[in-house]
Amino acid sequence: MTNTASVSGSLEPDVTARPARSEPRKRRYRRGQLFGLAMLAPTLIFVSVFFFAPIILTAVTAFTNMTSATGITGGAYLITPTVVRELQQQGFAPALVQALEQQVIHVDDATLAAAREAGVAENFLADIAANLSGRQFASERDFERELKQFQSRPRRIRDLKLAIEPFTESILNQRFGNRADATAAVYSVAPDVTPAELDTVLKNSYTGWVWTTENFAKLSADKESLRVFLNTVFYVSTTLAFNVLVALFMALALFYLPPTTGSVFSALWLLPRITPVVLYAVMWKWFTWDNGFIANLAGYLGLPSFNYMKGSVPTAWTIVILVNGFVGASLGMILFSGALRAIPRQQLWASEVDGASRLQQVRCIILPQLRWPIMFVTCYQALSLVGSYEQIWLTTNGGPGRTTTVWSLEAFRTALLNYSGNLQYGMGAAMALVLVAGGLVVSIFFLRLFRFNDLVEKPRIEL
Amino acid sequence: MTANFSKLPVLIILTLISLPLGVMYLSLVVDSFTNTPPDSLVPNEFTLEHWRYLIDPTLVGNIWVATVYTLIYAVSMAAIVIGLSATGGYALSRLQLPFRRFFLAGILVMHGFPAVTLIIGVFLVLKFIGLYDTLAGIVLVRAALTLPLGIWVMKGFYDAVPWELEMAGLQDGAGRFTVWWRIIVPQIQPGLMALGALAFIDAWGEFVIPRVLAPTTDFQVLSVFLNSISVPDSVEYNFNIYKAVGLFYTLPVLVLFIVFQNRLMAIFSGGTKG
Repeated sequence: MTNTASVSGSLEPDVTARPARSEPRKRRYRRGQLFGLAMLAPTLIFVSVFFFAPIILTAVTAFTNMTSATGITGGAYLITPTVVRELQQQGFAPALVQALEQQVIHVDDATLAAAREAGVAENFLADIAANLSGRQFASERDFERELKQFQSRPRRIRDLKLAIEPFTESILNQRFGNRADATAAVYSVAPDVTPAELDTVLKNSYTGWVWTTENFAKLSADKESLRVFLNTVFYVSTTLAFNVLVALFMALALFYLPPTTGSVFSALWLLPRITPVVLYAVMWKWFTWDNGFIANLAGYLGLPSFNYMKGSVPTAWTIVILVNGFVGASLGMILFSGALRAIPRQQLWASEVDGASRLQQVRCIILPQLRWPIMFVTCYQALSLVGSYEQIWLTTNGGPGRTTTVWSLEAFRTALLNYSGNLQYGMGAAMALVLVAGGLVVSIFFLRLFRFNDLVEKPRIEL
Repeated sequence: MTANFSKLPVLIILTLISLPLGVMYLSLVVDSFTNTPPDSLVPNEFTLEHWRYLIDPTLVGNIWVATVYTLIYAVSMAAIVIGLSATGGYALSRLQLPFRRFFLAGILVMHGFPAVTLIIGVFLVLKFIGLYDTLAGIVLVRAALTLPLGIWVMKGFYDAVPWELEMAGLQDGAGRFTVWWRIIVPQIQPGLMALGALAFIDAWGEFVIPRVLAPTTDFQVLSVFLNSISVPDSVEYNFNIYKAVGLFYTLPVLVLFIVFQNRLMAIFSGGTKG
């Protein structure tokens, strides 16, 4: 890139290259683009693997019934007794259920070989092969009756039962790698199955994940999801109000107070933002748990003393709002303080000369000029609150019951941290997708409000 | 400002709403060095017994191992974020790129993207590429999450460097890369260091990613360590030890924050706006 001829910088923004140069302008322009792409490439790769791929995967997974039981790659067809019982409950024809469950006894070369493997006596096998080869029995009892005619049969009933086993064939608990094998197996036991029935059997016995829109249907039908949704709306709006109002009050107070007093408070309010979240949660637990600070204090004052974090719904909500509010308030405080310092002092002095009180000053001079930062903080915080769950997870964990469970916490727990052990990736992804839809609406609004074009000023040097 | 109002009411309200924070942080420090009799709020003796875990791994587990893992985790994550933000931010600030507007809008949207949505997808990605439950996996994921902010902040720093510096270098015959590396990077070094500090603080405090994406305890980081030992429902629950562990855990972050205070404040306040 150290080619002197290609250098043609100019202080004039619009004149990008002088005409009478050795290299054509277009080629230089393209080299500039290549360099730009090279500089951006590592970031692009990173972002596509850890941002775009996850987003696409989440969107795709939302339309599957993927769980940790189905696994995330393919599956197989396995008709288990549980599947048969489910089919029976669904009102499947009893004859067909019986056919699926039934055990067929074949005597042929394959089953004879299997019996030899299992260690059945040779002379007994020879008798069976000679007399019964090619026959089929619908039940074990029929086969047993035939076998009892042979002199060579084992004397003990248990041995006889063991000898019968290798001849028994059933499609129950057999793993079929693909649909064709499974179909053939079902036809072998139940030749008169209708295509619709066959489809149901295969669908129920498939162990892998399948495409479905059931997640969304379930979400919209479930009463719990409405409750979680309302919880989220309540949580976001109250915490947002706390964040913005407290931040505004803090910024104004710090603006008017002497700098030393102000810096103590601003440092204190910045601490939650940099404190690791687990420690922050432990501190809140100490503050509100049984025998914690508040419980002890309430005991002294003769007030009810209990676990304030999980003991009652109103206190649990208060703690959730405060825990998140204290973390979020500092951002607004910093931004508002910066905006306050940018207000020309002369306006404030002039208003004081005219006899305005502090309240009038705040209402008529300061607040109108803070409109932009207030809008920004409101949008930004709304967006981050919609997706936040970490603090709630570590403090009340959505309790007591599910009263403080919010949408993102529910999505997180459904997909990744379920105590019952079966992680429902598909369902969790569907919930996350709903969250994204909400977040997307807020961010588009946020980009519009932001006058995005002002931020993306065109580069002024181009080679 | 002239004092045509009384400061006292404001000060009282300020103190009242700051009280929970004040009590929590004061007790974090005080309680780790003292003992408080049951049913009392005031400590009555000075002691170092809550700090014995530093030399006695039988108390809560070996904290030094967790500290080393946390250091590896945070430092490598910060290095990735610095490297990629320095190059990506420059490209977006100064270079002619196709779809430049699209990239910038994308970065802003990604910055505000709900992390819970990402983490479900990231979990699947890590499973597919085989990095699930590895230290490298959680470092990469954590770095990717901070990257949009990092690029946006660095773009802001690059935007503040005068064009004339770059033009002078180009006129003297240097290539774009040389100009970037020899002239521009030294200019934005304070920004890079502040971003590194920010990334380090982020990673040091991170809990969800190590907990969910690397659940085995082979390389437990401090956040998971602290969370796993502080189970309030257990018998003999002693908040003071957890406060001592917590104080130990948060000290590096506090030191970093104090050192980089002004720069970090600039990022907090201006970073989101470029």
